[in-house]
Amino acid sequence: MDTSATYQVKLEVFQGPLDLLLFLIRKKKIDIHDIPIATITREYLEYLNHKERINLDREAEFLLIATLLIYIKSQMLIPREKALEDEEEDPRQILVDRLLDYQKIKAASVLLREKEEEELQTWKRTFLPSLYSQEEMDYMEVSLFDLAESFFALLKRKEKRETKTIKGKEFSLEEKMKKIIDFLEENSFLDFLDYFDQQGSFEEAITSFFSLLELIRSGIVIAIQESIFQPIKVWLRKKANTKRSR
Amino acid sequence: MKNRLKEVIESLIFISLEPLSLEKIKNVLTEFPEQEIGQAINELLESYISNERGIQIIQSAGGYLFSTKPEHDSWVKRLLKVERKNKLSSAALEVLSAVAYHQPITLAEISALRGVDSTHTLKTLLQKKLIKIVGRKRSPGNPLIYRTSDKFLTHFGLNSIKDLPSPEELSKILEEESIIEEEDKSEH
Repeated sequence: MDTSATYQVKLEVFQGPLDLLLFLIRKKKIDIHDIPIATITREYLEYLNHKERINLDREAEFLLIATLLIYIKSQMLIPREKALEDEEEDPRQILVDRLLDYQKIKAASVLLREKEEEELQTWKRTFLPSLYSQEEMDYMEVSLFDLAESFFALLKRKEKRETKTIKGKEFSLEEKMKKIIDFLEENSFLDFLDYFDQQGSFEEAITSFFSLLELIRSGIVIAIQESIFQPIKVWLRKKANTKRSR
Repeated sequence: MKNRLKEVIESLIFISLEPLSLEKIKNVLTEFPEQEIGQAINELLESYISNERGIQIIQSAGGYLFSTKPEHDSWVKRLLKVERKNKLSSAALEVLSAVAYHQPITLAEISALRGVDSTHTLKTLLQKKLIKIVGRKRSPGNPLIYRTSDKFLTHFGLNSIKDLPSPEELSKILEEESIIEEEDKSEH
């Protein structure tokens, strides 16, 4: 860690970063009674005044530790009756235990950072330059309205092309549902618009659309859009695949 | 026959995008005795260490995976036209450490450990799938409890969570650091 950048406390009995001071107090290597907290805070405020830029994280940390110090000292200064003292734990101990737990986590996070740096230098085949933002792409499940809207856009497309009269061939929902599942099993997914484009007639397209809605409703397939304005894709919901079902 | 086995395993690892576990390799290579498979893997790993190659086989999240070598980083980046893969924020790393060392853990426990509200960071880590929800705690409010995921392991190049230093080792590191700091101080 960059200790040179952190604020250094300068006292007769101690010189260094504040968290180290707290650590030493815990170890009882320095007596809290010897630490003039007023001096520390006054000098720190002066230091802040002279600083052009403030690193909020670091200053917040200083505040936290300084508060702990003040708390410890105030607890030590208040005279207590013996009986009471025995019941209560040493305030230094509670606070310092907490700080020690936190220090461990911090040490671990420094370690993780090192591991991450190493890992970032090795490249795997899974890496593809991201097309979207740095954030991992979040799939969104499309609503009924998105589906319907796409469907109407499609009908308009079809309307323009189809001028012939449609000869009556009946399409059943069940038959269509089976066809969609068969298609999905073979192709893993279908592109919503493309699929309906392939349909022979207006009537067939509508039957397919209803079949698809029925399949989504009963949870057999799932319709997913990678982001707004991207093609809607329909996937077979696998029983074992609970990944996306959170 | 043995040479072929080594080559087969090499192909299997090559074609896998996720770390390929020994279990999976065994499931595929049913016609080979398990012992030979283990030996062939070891030989394969050795051949990658000794030969002059640009790629390596790493052990990550309990499986084997091909990756480029760290010393070729700058050229790979040039090819892929990326500056740098995204690093996690310090807050994210702290929350991950808290989860890694205290799992299973609740959000309230993480926040208490850090002394900072960690709701947002936790949410981001969940989205990144570096941690996962494993259930609810049997305590007032039944809060959700979290654990690190396999993706956590791959992100940090760990083979298992045991690769991290134990809490005792961490205390030792802290102890040594403070001694060094004290020594530094007395030198000034």
